Amino acid sequence: MVEDCNIKKLRNNCFRQSKVPGEFMLQLRVPGALIDAKWLDVIKHVCQTWGDGTFHLGMRQTLNAPRIKAKDIPAVNEYIQPYLQAVECDMCDVKMQTKDGYPYIAPRNIMACIGGIHCIKGNVYTQRLAQKLEKLIYPNPYHIKISVSGCPNDCGKGHFQDFGIIGCTKPIYTIDRCIGCGACVRKCESAATRVLSLNDKNKVEKDPCCCVGCGECVTACPTGAWRRPAKDFYKIILGGRTGKQYPRMGKMFANWLTEESVLSIMKNWPKFSEWVLGGKPIYIHGGHLIDRAGYQRFKDFMLDGVNLNPEAMIAENINWAETEYRSNIHVKPLDKHLSVK
Amino acid sequence: MKHAQTYQLTVNEMNEFLEQLSKKYDIYAPVRISCGGRYAKDDSIIYQPINTYQEIEFHERSTYPLKEVLTPITQTLFYFTEDEFKESKSPQKDVLIFGRACDINSIKIQDQIYLQNGGIEDYFYKRIRDKIKFILMDCPEQFEGCFCCSVGANKTDMQSLAVSDNNGSAYVGIYDSDFNNYFAKYSAVDHEIQTPLENELKVDYPVIDNLDLANKLKEHPMWKEFDARCIGCGSCTVSCSTCTCFETTDIVYTQNAHIGERRRTCSSCMVDGFDKVAGGQSFRKKTSEKYRYKILHKVYGYNARFHTGPMCVGCGRCSARCPELISYPATLNKLSQAIKEIKGGVQHD
Ligand code: SF4
Ligand code: SF4
Ligand code: SF4
Ligand code: SF4
Ligand code: SF4
Repeated sequence: MVEDCNIKKLRNNCFRQSKVPGEFMLQLRVPGALIDAKWLDVIKHVCQTWGDGTFHLGMRQTLNAPRIKAKDIPAVNEYIQPYLQAVECDMCDVKMQTKDGYPYIAPRNIMACIGGIHCIKGNVYTQRLAQKLEKLIYPNPYHIKISVSGCPNDCGKGHFQDFGIIGCTKPIYTIDRCIGCGACVRKCESAATRVLSLNDKNKVEKDPCCCVGCGECVTACPTGAWRRPAKDFYKIILGGRTGKQYPRMGKMFANWLTEESVLSIMKNWPKFSEWVLGGKPIYIHGGHLIDRAGYQRFKDFMLDGVNLNPEAMIAENINWAETEYRSNIHVKPLDKHLSVK
Repeated sequence: MKHAQTYQLTVNEMNEFLEQLSKKYDIYAPVRISCGGRYAKDDSIIYQPINTYQEIEFHERSTYPLKEVLTPITQTLFYFTEDEFKESKSPQKDVLIFGRACDINSIKIQDQIYLQNGGIEDYFYKRIRDKIKFILMDCPEQFEGCFCCSVGANKTDMQSLAVSDNNGSAYVGIYDSDFNNYFAKYSAVDHEIQTPLENELKVDYPVIDNLDLANKLKEHPMWKEFDARCIGCGSCTVSCSTCTCFETTDIVYTQNAHIGERRRTCSSCMVDGFDKVAGGQSFRKKTSEKYRYKILHKVYGYNARFHTGPMCVGCGRCSARCPELISYPATLNKLSQAIKEIKGGVQHD
């Protein structure tokens, strides 16, 4: 007899249904993707005790234990309680019960590249922002995919998230430290946006309009004439996704946001989702909620009550370009589209 | 080291002392620049004017060298019009500079190049140099890659004062009687401020005692690897305590080429265009050639001219700043090895 399992309830508990009836895969969230290595013993123990001894590195940087039997799930939840307490409550300051495992799966794990703690290209501490975002989006029943990248190389694949947050810098130039070697000019040209040039006085000119904020000029400079300001900046790439219907790459929603602005925008996400779904959370991808509302209403909601920093820029409009797996999505009669009435 | 009278001052007393000094002196010291470093959230440490004791960074090596006080990266020498010129402002006060033993010793090398090179004194160097007195900082914690002891730059007698930071207080040693009166109200303590006696890193600094050996070393295959490793960025020479190369340019203000200023800007033998001669030709095209030139200048060329040993004080900044992790001491070791090979008659083709 097939074991009677409430798969929706178990999914919310972060146990994913397997093709083998009665088996599930646990996904441990790792917001920001950096934790004490001692926790590897926890997932290892789960895999070896209740799974089949294999371990899966989740696509969204979760720690996964495949082939857990439904009947063992309470024991697994009890065993992982200290991990949830340490990572969710202590590290991210999330307010939640931890004794029965995770309460929701919908806000997907917040991914992050290693960023400024290690990477020579990084501008920001990605984990720190990811952990602050976790507190804003978890636990709640509304789906959202976020990643944080340390620089515009975007190793966090922010272009394929609902919100791809990218750490930037607005380099400061100290003219008296510049020896006119041109290293920054060449680097900006070969690795970034070609916005620097040397003038006839052998000093650097910048076209600030198109600087991508990568900080390559800072790294290239032998004298420290370019440096990163202490204040971090971010862009948000919006509405990217993969999937069977109409995958698309995200487009820039905001540029030159401070961390404070990012956090106060993202804080509005649960309210926005609640409004679009009329307060009935269903498992639907965040990007579709933006489609249903339309960009303008999405923007109004997300910027509600936000005190943007003076440097911040917000897109007037966004023209995404979907891959039309499902043909003619753009000419489908309006009444066939799910939209907010 | 000369015998010194030593006093112990609190931070507040040090600040009072600095305030009194500032009437007569501009005071420079290594200062931490938050986020000034090459990588995210890393600081840099630069010689800058200071007012208070707390601004001085005692516990980490400065990123950039002391020489910047004397020869700033960009310096206007004079302003000119068609038929006259006006000298740029020279320092009004005397100058006091906090520096470690290696940093202070590096100025001996700077002096030789700017004041004793071919019998010509550099006017703009001299006008500040004559006003400088040094305050020696001790090195109770040494830093990764320091090798001052291997080149004899760990000792100095050029200091007027010495300061040792002691967690909330400072020892001050007096070597110059000009400063005695500041300490009349304190009583001396029994404490001697030490400079490094030994470094963890020991470098057998190569000696090239003849031109023939130098020429043979130029042909040695040891330089080849640097074509692939060195990116010719110049970080090593800009941060070097003893490198002195600069470039002089006339900056013309308007369409009228007769009005403008003459500037001196730090330059680097590691950077493209450094050795460009009229006609746009360069002698050293490959980075391995540039790197070889730099090293042989420090080990051989400088000593061949002045007979005072290496053009290096073992401060370790060049390696600390190299983004490609090229270790200067490792190169010196390879060079010593090559010298042994050549002297022993080993052939390379
Ligand atoms: S996105 Fe930038 S900071 Fe992050 S890992 Fe990639 S290169 Fe490094
Ligand atoms: S931050 Fe990047 S894009 Fe902007 S000037 Fe520097 S190198 Fe160019
Ligand atoms: S890399 Fe630095 S020193 Fe060289 S031109 Fe650019 S700002 Fe000036
Ligand atoms: S060559 Fe390196 S160790 Fe020697 S003085 Fe220059 S920076 Fe210091
Ligand atoms: S040795 Fe290092 S610091 Fe010096 S030019 Fe080469 S890469 Fe740059």
